[in-house]
Amino acid sequence: MHPILRLVSRNITISLNPGFLIWQIIFPLVYIFVAGFAYAPLIQGVQLGPRDLDYPAFLASGMIGFNVMNSTLVSGIIIWNDRRHGMFEQIMSGPFTRSQYIMGNICTIAVIGLVSAAFILAVGYPIFFEDIRFSTGTIPLIVFGAVAGSILFGSLASIISTRLRSSEGFNVIINTVFLFFAFVSTAFYPAQDVQEPLRTAFYANPLTYLVDVIRAGIFGTVSEFVLVEIAVLAVLAGVLFVVASKLLTRLNV
Amino acid sequence: MSCIDVRHLSKSYGRLAAVDDVTFEVGRGRVFGFLGPNGAGKSTTIKLLTTLIRPTSGSISVLGIDAVRNPLQVRHRVGVVLQQPSYEPTLSVEKALDRYGMMWGVPKNVRRDRTESLLEEFDLLDIRGRRNEDLSIGQRRRVQVAREFVHDMDLLFLDEPTVGLDPGARRRLLDYLRGRVREGLSIFYTTHILPEAEYLCDEIAIMDRGRLLAVDTPSALQSRLGDEKTIKIHLRRGRPGICELLSGVGRCRISFGEGAGAAAGADVGSDAATITIRSAESELVLLQALKILNDAGIEIEDLSVVPTSLEEIFLGMTGRGDGRKKGAGAGDGSMQDAGGGP
Repeated sequence: MHPILRLVSRNITISLNPGFLIWQIIFPLVYIFVAGFAYAPLIQGVQLGPRDLDYPAFLASGMIGFNVMNSTLVSGIIIWNDRRHGMFEQIMSGPFTRSQYIMGNICTIAVIGLVSAAFILAVGYPIFFEDIRFSTGTIPLIVFGAVAGSILFGSLASIISTRLRSSEGFNVIINTVFLFFAFVSTAFYPAQDVQEPLRTAFYANPLTYLVDVIRAGIFGTVSEFVLVEIAVLAVLAGVLFVVASKLLTRLNV
Repeated sequence: MSCIDVRHLSKSYGRLAAVDDVTFEVGRGRVFGFLGPNGAGKSTTIKLLTTLIRPTSGSISVLGIDAVRNPLQVRHRVGVVLQQPSYEPTLSVEKALDRYGMMWGVPKNVRRDRTESLLEEFDLLDIRGRRNEDLSIGQRRRVQVAREFVHDMDLLFLDEPTVGLDPGARRRLLDYLRGRVREGLSIFYTTHILPEAEYLCDEIAIMDRGRLLAVDTPSALQSRLGDEKTIKIHLRRGRPGICELLSGVGRCRISFGEGAGAAAGADVGSDAATITIRSAESELVLLQALKILNDAGIEIEDLSVVPTSLEEIFLGMTGRGDGRKKGAGAGDGSMQDAGGGP
């Protein structure tokens, strides 16, 4: 087995614990089936390009991007734990290069991100199945969104984990950043009805691009603006990946 | 043929030379002990040899491979137990061994057999299902060392592996290592527990402040540096001014109190009831000392002359034991250096 695959296998083994699974499964289900239907009377319809969606379908599709982002916390947690418990040094003294370690983490979060997206897609299917407009052009868009989003947020979590040593600091920063991303985005509410400057803040948030791209893939609403969002997502993921890799390469043992 | 060949190796952090122009060789199938006090540069040397850090200057050949140019090739053939704990908190002991083997590409059936055997060898059967984070420090250390034997290697680096182990577990580990060496494994072993080094090592290097002070077999070290013997004189009772009385004894080092280590650190007055004298000319020195004590009417309760142990050589060389490098002398009431000795 290739060293990167061995690292991915190891990462998945150490990450799959009851707490993580509850976080990954229960949390989005509560949003979809409780918040989605509870808010439906307040938000009666959402205009998405030419389509008119009901709120539960809108929220369930937003939860895919949200869950992809949440799953990438794993990357930061793996790096932080490896440093704290001496495994980073141990792995670096074994048959692995730093590049393989980094790629192992990225592949891990890509796998978890994809599985997570597939899970929410499956769970949310009964809610938005009437509106789904899959095609050979839009399914790759969902996969691209899940992978690019995983790399983007995974790199961000990795950057934070390389800069912080204390458990409290890591948890506070990562939760604050991800909480901001979650609620100042189009994951929960449509941007067109939001007032300025909040609306601008929505588009300063990479989760908005990720959610919009995935929604466009599910509902077949690919527009010129979505193409710009795809480009932004790809560039941001690339830049953050390079920064995270450089920081990890310089990490002292 | 040597499995480690280090030439003029240096590693500096700013102005601090953690490793300073170190040269040594380690033969295959041997246990090489690397001794030194805390902060001597042992762990930095291990990090250099295991390619975790790059040297400032010098060359490192490990198993015939240039470790600076081809670090990954080296890492494929060595095992490393680092000084600090390393573990995956959520994995059970058994799973930790298995996953570690998987990371090294050990086939599943081989991993399973080795895991079973190592769980038994390292007395981990009772805790095989317990998570690493729930283990005691000693148990975790045993898992860390055992884990390294799941994969194949030609050379094993052990950085103070017995820290946190009880005496039984320590002896068990040392015996296990001896067995593995008989099967052809080479071991680079750092410790500051000297009886361990004497028990296990074929060759010993003593390091302090980044520099190698000596490299030899334990017996050669004892004969080369330990021609001196240690004379211990227990007086029936202490007497003030005894330090001044013995100041006339030449070519020896004298300390007062229970042993060299204690003398350096303990608050012992010059009227102490135990006198420790080290000299390469022990017979002559003993006669001189006995004459002085006899003339002064001081009664001796017990007297012994023993070859200087590796521990005493180590303490003497690193200046940690007898205070020679700390400027302790007759005036401080606990120690005097009458010249001579290594």
